[in-house]
Amino acid sequence: MEQPSFPETPAAVAGASAKQHYDRLLTEAASIRGVSLWQDAWKRLRRNWSAMLSLYFLIALGMLAFFTPLLPLQSPIKQNLRDASAENPSQSQDRQFAPPSWQPVSLGLTQYREKLAQLNADLAQASTAERKALEDQLERYENDNPIREMASNPGVLTSAMISARIAIFGDFCLPSLMGTDNLGRDVMARIFWGSRVSIIVALVAAFVSLVIGVTYGAISGYLGGWIDNLMMRFVDILYSIPFIFVVIFIITILSDEKVKPALDRYGINQIIILYVLIGAIYWLTMARVVRGQVISLKTEQYIEAARTIGASSGRIVFRHLIPNVLGVVIVYLTLTIPAVMLFEAFLSFLGLGVTPPDVSWGILVNEGVQAITPIKVYWWLVLFPGLVFSLTLFALNFLGDGLRDALDPRLKNK
Amino acid sequence: MLPLLKFLFRRFMWMILTVWIVYTIAFFLSRAVEGDPFAGERAMSAEVKRYKMERYGYDKPLVSQYARSLWLMTTQLDLHESRKLNEIPVTQLIAEGFPVSASLGIFALVFALALGTVAGVISAVYRYSFLDFSFMTAATLGIAVPNFVLASIAIMLFVFWIPIFPAGGWGTLRQLVLPALCLGAPFAAYIARLTRTGMMEVLNQDYIRTAYAKGLGDRRVVLRHALRGAILPVVSYLGPATAGILTGSLVLERIFFIPGMGSHFIEAALQRDFPVALGMVMVYTMLLFVANAIVDLSYVVIDPRVRLE
Amino acid sequence: MPPAIRQIFPYLALVLLGVGVAWAMSFGTLPPADFTFANGDEVKTLDPGIATGSPEHRILDALFEGLLRLHPVEVPGGAEKNLYENVPLKLLPGVADLPEVTNDGQTYTFHFLPDRKWSNGRAVTAPDFVFSWQRLLHPENAGEYAYQLHYVVGGKKYNLEQLEIGDPVEVELYDRPVPSQMYPRGTMIRGKLAGIWKPEKPTFAKDTPAAEQESQLAQWKKSFVYTVQAETKDVGERKYAPLTGTFRYSKDPSAAVAGGFDDGQIVQCHHVLADFDKVVGIRALDDNTLQVELNSATPYFDQLTAFFSLYPVCRECVEKYGTPEWTRTGHLIGNGAYTLKKHRVRDRIRLEKSATYWNREHVPLEVVDALALKSDTTALNMYLTGQVDWIITVPNTVVQQLREDRTDFYTTPMLTTYFYRVNVNKPPLNDVRIRRALNAAINKALICDEVLKAGQIPARSYVPPGIAGYHSELTGDQDLEEARKLLAEAGYPNGKGMPKVEILFNTNEDHRVIAEVIQQQWRKLGINCELRNLEWGSFLDALSNQKYMVSRSAWTGDYADPNTFLDMFVTDGPNNQTGWSNAEYDRLIEAAKHVSAEERLKLLSQAERILMDELPILPIYFYVTKNMVNPRVKGFRSNIQDLHPLDLLSVEPPNAPTESTTAR
Repeated sequence: MEQPSFPETPAAVAGASAKQHYDRLLTEAASIRGVSLWQDAWKRLRRNWSAMLSLYFLIALGMLAFFTPLLPLQSPIKQNLRDASAENPSQSQDRQFAPPSWQPVSLGLTQYREKLAQLNADLAQASTAERKALEDQLERYENDNPIREMASNPGVLTSAMISARIAIFGDFCLPSLMGTDNLGRDVMARIFWGSRVSIIVALVAAFVSLVIGVTYGAISGYLGGWIDNLMMRFVDILYSIPFIFVVIFIITILSDEKVKPALDRYGINQIIILYVLIGAIYWLTMARVVRGQVISLKTEQYIEAARTIGASSGRIVFRHLIPNVLGVVIVYLTLTIPAVMLFEAFLSFLGLGVTPPDVSWGILVNEGVQAITPIKVYWWLVLFPGLVFSLTLFALNFLGDGLRDALDPRLKNK
Repeated sequence: MLPLLKFLFRRFMWMILTVWIVYTIAFFLSRAVEGDPFAGERAMSAEVKRYKMERYGYDKPLVSQYARSLWLMTTQLDLHESRKLNEIPVTQLIAEGFPVSASLGIFALVFALALGTVAGVISAVYRYSFLDFSFMTAATLGIAVPNFVLASIAIMLFVFWIPIFPAGGWGTLRQLVLPALCLGAPFAAYIARLTRTGMMEVLNQDYIRTAYAKGLGDRRVVLRHALRGAILPVVSYLGPATAGILTGSLVLERIFFIPGMGSHFIEAALQRDFPVALGMVMVYTMLLFVANAIVDLSYVVIDPRVRLE
Repeated sequence: MPPAIRQIFPYLALVLLGVGVAWAMSFGTLPPADFTFANGDEVKTLDPGIATGSPEHRILDALFEGLLRLHPVEVPGGAEKNLYENVPLKLLPGVADLPEVTNDGQTYTFHFLPDRKWSNGRAVTAPDFVFSWQRLLHPENAGEYAYQLHYVVGGKKYNLEQLEIGDPVEVELYDRPVPSQMYPRGTMIRGKLAGIWKPEKPTFAKDTPAAEQESQLAQWKKSFVYTVQAETKDVGERKYAPLTGTFRYSKDPSAAVAGGFDDGQIVQCHHVLADFDKVVGIRALDDNTLQVELNSATPYFDQLTAFFSLYPVCRECVEKYGTPEWTRTGHLIGNGAYTLKKHRVRDRIRLEKSATYWNREHVPLEVVDALALKSDTTALNMYLTGQVDWIITVPNTVVQQLREDRTDFYTTPMLTTYFYRVNVNKPPLNDVRIRRALNAAINKALICDEVLKAGQIPARSYVPPGIAGYHSELTGDQDLEEARKLLAEAGYPNGKGMPKVEILFNTNEDHRVIAEVIQQQWRKLGINCELRNLEWGSFLDALSNQKYMVSRSAWTGDYADPNTFLDMFVTDGPNNQTGWSNAEYDRLIEAAKHVSAEERLKLLSQAERILMDELPILPIYFYVTKNMVNPRVKGFRSNIQDLHPLDLLSVEPPNAPTESTTAR
């Protein structure tokens, strides 16, 4: 063994060996700590094939919804009705209530560009006298650009994605594999675009319910005593109000001529109101569950410990209690989302959902239901939206069950 | 007996308080949005409008309108008249609509309970079998399909392809069956799942093993011993289920042309017929309270450990 | 809790459940009706003086009968001719025989026919009509159709409370038995108006809401003080107080005093109105003769007497129960072919053949049910399963299939226009070029042929075709180039900088689809367009307060004359609701009232020219009827106003079993 070049004091030697000792202990500890609640839960969840399948399905769905503008889909809003008086009759197709088919469809981009090039060429050769008219025509022609019909009022990100999609796929788009609706719009594109609205609605609403419910429940449970009593009585009162009434009510108030412009100024439209509203209603169960958990947790020793070292109430609630109730919260979140989606469908049925040309699954399902009559069954209008809708709800329910089993086996019975 | 009376009294007081709060909030909110209560297709002259305003007491200050309407409600059970339907008293609408909605709800609930518990028990007893799997898939489907979709498919199936039920209307048992089934289906599904989980947990417990050890038959153990323990979550679910069935019937009453409280409420709310909507909401609120009180009571009965607080 | 109770609880619960189920199954049943039809919606009222909608129309036609009846007449050629094509409508004697009209067309004399009775057995008399029409015109009744009697001399004056010094007036003192009920009336004082004292008119800041201004003005009018020289001598049947001298009346004396009135004692009154008997040209010459004097020749007045708002109401019934109580089951007394047997809200109205109707031998159907079926799909389902014999409309998605496959689906042109109202006060829609551009961009043929598919006719005029002798003036055809040019002229080339346009419609699948198509067509101009839907009540609210930009509307002619369409858009007309005003248009409509029949139509045609140039409305299409009638029903005749009096219908075989019973 090579000697160290400098002499070691006994104390240093002892210190080093102690350090080594502690290091070893620490690494050991680290290797033991490996099985946290989350890892444990994840392991259990992985064993549950239906929950995992649901999870993959939902992740895929979320990705597809997010990247919908990038996909080679038809326009969700372009109507394809036979127009006898069209300027260019070849362009107009009668695709009303077309059943699913493989017949190729294009965006009409090539045609558009050809005509545009033609106009530009004309413009280059034109005399000054004709120039003005041609420029006008060119400018007008911009309104016919198929890209403009890809989405209604797209945001910056969506526009960018649409441009990317045009760059990648060009004129190509998938045929109407799921048929077309009463105005000849492609059902598949509508389902994809509708998923964006429906998913955002569900997420926003669930998030709102999460924030309100967790805060409320945690505060109530932590403070206890008469405050807890009062706060829970308030929840009881809200529980016994049929909230469909509240929603209808508030929607009518907020769509009133007096209120609407003010909201529009802040970019708040009916969809956002709807979601915040739904979220603000679904927090009740969340609050109850979180309160129950907090009450049972707050007598635990580590909370006592935190209190003795002088942590403030806020710190205890938000740093110590809430992370520990997260498991339950996640479970209820996955069960809130399907409830919100069902509610959105219900509102669409009553005509209170999003307004055209925006589209949501609720609207699609409702349109589908109206298209099945004993006289004529346009089955694709109810089958595909209904299938996607139900599958999603199905997956969310399975995932919720799986998470519940995985995160807190004791909750099974609740 | 005393704790029971105390319990009922306290619940009753809470109910009164809740109804009062709901009424107050809804009253002022509705007045805030009620642009023009007498808007018709044709513009009305100011004079004519004034006559109408006077007739309904709209010319008085809001607070005195509120006091008067509260007074009428508490002393004479007068919930005002419909604003859009020929001034029909709201109490009459409730009297006409309540039995209809109640019949529908009772049927749906009984159906949900019967189907749900039976399917749940079978699933739990023959767990992981094909039967279990198909029941549970059906149950999840029941939760995942909106009831208006279910209703239209059921109409296609059982009214037109296999013509056994009428398409709508109210009055005979046959007209009741289809809407009640559609209304109860999601709740049956949920109850089935609850029963199954509860049952599986109970079946693992010692007293069940003891019962088997005593030589009792399968049927007796499951029905007499296990079911009792497994039914608790189902009972506690009945409160929310009642609420859900009440709300769910809004849609089905519309689809099946049933003149119940749900259709009155929906039409009134959408058309801003506030007295009617408000009256219906108060009835629903009371129903929910009663349902929840019954659930809490039955909890005490089923589980000896639970006491009335 | 004692264990014993715990033991029996499950059984108790089961018993309770059983009782509940048994109760839920206890249905009181009604015997099935002979004929059941879908009436579209719940009726809002059964008072002819108040009703406005078509569900009410169908029921009122059965419960009451006017001076004349407007019936579709059978034409030779069998079912084909009578169902798939419109048959003519003909005026028939009702309570009275066809009227004698003076040569100037201004005085109508109706001679009542024998055996016309109320359902309580009393004969229908001319004073009944005087009473009913006075009630319709009375400002307190607030009937929206009161304007139909503005053609009568003094009718408008009485209805709108236009008083001038020296007018004969009648004062109703504040001593009614029930102050909120118009009938029975308080003591009446007859006299001459000697003066009106008005307090200072309230002034408003610029930002005072319109509703607030309106209510303050109404309050102001309440405190007017009327000085009346009472000269009542004829104390007759109509309860006039024998009184002479000068008195001061006010609806709100304390407000008048507070407003500064100090010229003597004020008596509180309900109304000071023009003296009906002296001012209004409606007179009962005797019990069986009614004379009506019109302001000018009004060729469609006889048609109006067959319209429900001019139906008689039974005075003793109204006075006994008050409004609206008199229209309830058991109270209502009518003079029509049917009586009201049962009315269950949002379910059905049951009608039974009247035992006192003069033509009862020729009324085939004994019992008729009118269902308040709002959902078209449910109505169709119930029709297809035989629960309903006649549905008045069908869902859009099945129209094409029905036309191809079924012989019991009838579509014929109707006297109804579907149009978009444009709020001409909302920029940029105040620019007529924008309105023309919007109109030119709508592909109406596409909407009719591809979306609606029931044979609707694209509308280029406001007045529908089918009115004899009238020539409609047209707007420009669909022309996208023209639309673009107009838009550029208005300062928005290719829609650049153009504010969003909002289309308002009442919640309905068909309206939504049409709006979606128009939304896309306007996008071609570069115009961004939003949709907004409201339920009917809120929709009307937005419309009457002009809180919209573009709004879906429809108008059905109450009688077959262009006037019912065109007089809507006179300045501040109660049905104008677009804010549009044109002096020349007003002049033409007014002038048309005072000229010969041919000249009249020419003037109306000129007025329509203005309307179609200025375009405060964008006509879209003309309706067709969409009736589905069970082949076992006989006597159903398609017609331009979609009138189907129940007394014309019969069923074969009678009393076929139908599922129509009602709970409790």
